Amino acid sequence: MSGNMKTKVILLLALVCLAASSCVKLREKISPTDIIIAGTAVEDRIKMSEIFYLNHYNDKVWLVAEGDYSFLVGADSHVTTDPGRMDEMLAIGLRDKDLFYAHLGDIADTKAEYYATLDSLLWYAKWRYVEANYEQINDYEYIEKDSKLVPPPVYTYNDIVYPFFPVVGNHDITRNGWALWSNIFHSSFYEIDVIDFLDNGEIAFDHLIFLDSASGTLGKTQIDLIKRGILNGKYDDGTSAYRYTFVFTHTNIFRPQFNEFASTFPREETFFLLDQFEDWNVTCVFCGHVHTWDERNFNSVHYLTLDAMCEANNPEPGDYLVRVNVTQDPLMLEWKPVHMNYTPKKK
Amino acid sequence: MNRFIASVLLLFLLGSAGAFGQTYSGERKFDGVHKNEIAGNLAGGYNTVSGVFIGEAGFYTHHFTDRWSITGGEQVQFIKWLFSIDAMGTYRLPIKRTNLYFDAHLINNFYTRWGFHEFIANASAYWETNFVDIRFGMSYIRYLKYDVKGLYRFFTDDGYTEPPTLIFGLGINIRPRNNPWNLGFFIRNYDQFYYENWNINWGIRAHVRVTDDLKIFSEFNVRPAGSLSQLATRYETSLKAGVRYVW
Repeated sequence: MSGNMKTKVILLLALVCLAASSCVKLREKISPTDIIIAGTAVEDRIKMSEIFYLNHYNDKVWLVAEGDYSFLVGADSHVTTDPGRMDEMLAIGLRDKDLFYAHLGDIADTKAEYYATLDSLLWYAKWRYVEANYEQINDYEYIEKDSKLVPPPVYTYNDIVYPFFPVVGNHDITRNGWALWSNIFHSSFYEIDVIDFLDNGEIAFDHLIFLDSASGTLGKTQIDLIKRGILNGKYDDGTSAYRYTFVFTHTNIFRPQFNEFASTFPREETFFLLDQFEDWNVTCVFCGHVHTWDERNFNSVHYLTLDAMCEANNPEPGDYLVRVNVTQDPLMLEWKPVHMNYTPKKK
Repeated sequence: MNRFIASVLLLFLLGSAGAFGQTYSGERKFDGVHKNEIAGNLAGGYNTVSGVFIGEAGFYTHHFTDRWSITGGEQVQFIKWLFSIDAMGTYRLPIKRTNLYFDAHLINNFYTRWGFHEFIANASAYWETNFVDIRFGMSYIRYLKYDVKGLYRFFTDDGYTEPPTLIFGLGINIRPRNNPWNLGFFIRNYDQFYYENWNINWGIRAHVRVTDDLKIFSEFNVRPAGSLSQLATRYETSLKAGVRYVW
């Protein structure tokens, strides 16, 4: 190799190293479009969620069902100034006595005033929920109406859990969205158990898993937690402790059709998740993000991808929600679309 | 219908010999003398799911004529436990001082860590000018969890076939493509052994022709997750380095 060529090679390698080191530094906040940049990356969100999870482990929510129960799922409400559809979802859940309501992310577009609107909406929804299901016995305390426990447990207003459980979506975390989202919902990665007291005297447990996929990846920390078995739900002999397991997350696994341009998980992570859901013995995975309906089975796991309920995408009334019915006689699980009637106000 | 398409593609794959070689701008065209090429590279990097990984890949290309060539390759990525083989046939159409290549590419990936077999068929057009290269094409991607006891259930409905996937790539070099050395930037939604949906990877590539028949090359690749419609978040970063010999 001539001296001139050696100089070129050294220069080239130096340039590659320089560029490589720059790329590594930039890696957390790269966006080819430069439109949506997260203030808080997935690793930080999970670290914060894990701390919240550990600090509030004793406050873990247990939902109690008596025999048959149902729950309601919605996605991509993108609340802005008009929260009509979000309000309708919560009203439907209250009217039809669903055990809980799950939201698959992109709950509001990232502006402080939109989250203030959402917060007010949730505050009012909880008040309606308490009015419908609890009886106030003094200035501060409530008991559940129709409680079969004697004496019935007494709750303060703050103790009563409003059964609305969201996951975080990519539109929830743009700019400083995580600060707004986490101020209301605290954790983007959590689990909830349902205790179902069956008519025959037996007890069944169902498992609700909420994953943070708002960045198109679960990130190393969340994947490590999953690998450590934090959401495993299995006995020592490997059998599942749960009758049904439901997973709620934002990013869709499967692309519904060719002309859907929303990004999905990268290859290895797709296969990791499909394998993990099978290992968890998941009954159904609920996804959003792509704003298009899709339903399929893969390796005995059912996958539902929900259309967006937001007025901007779907201004006309339609079946944008899903209700899952869990029945004990016969022991089965079915889902049905739920119609939404709200039409946005014309400006 | 999916079974029929899969059957045809699988038969084509079994009947083909060779695979897709690691190619760089300015190096694809038959030089008129050396009909055979062999290339190999080492790779290492970090992936969010598998952690640190290392691997290797090897390729062989044969030029039948000035227009037609066929290439074959393999890849092993340890820790990920990813095993790949691929095959590619190419037709070159010269257009003035540029070249338009038509590539038919078949890949079998075995993600054994999670027990998945992925089959990809891709057809694309690759236009190469002095400083810029562009690729557009479509992919057929099917994957399934394989049964460790025996046959892959490729002809059953247990797998999943993705809707046709658009692929696109852009590369820019700082020197003319026939220069003895070059340094370039690329952005695309595919790599040698995978075609993504809407996840874009980008990076820097370089090569140096050491002698008339020996070249060294390198590629630094940043592969974020969620780069279209979501937030580009660290997913995989890798570096390849290798040699190519022609005779």
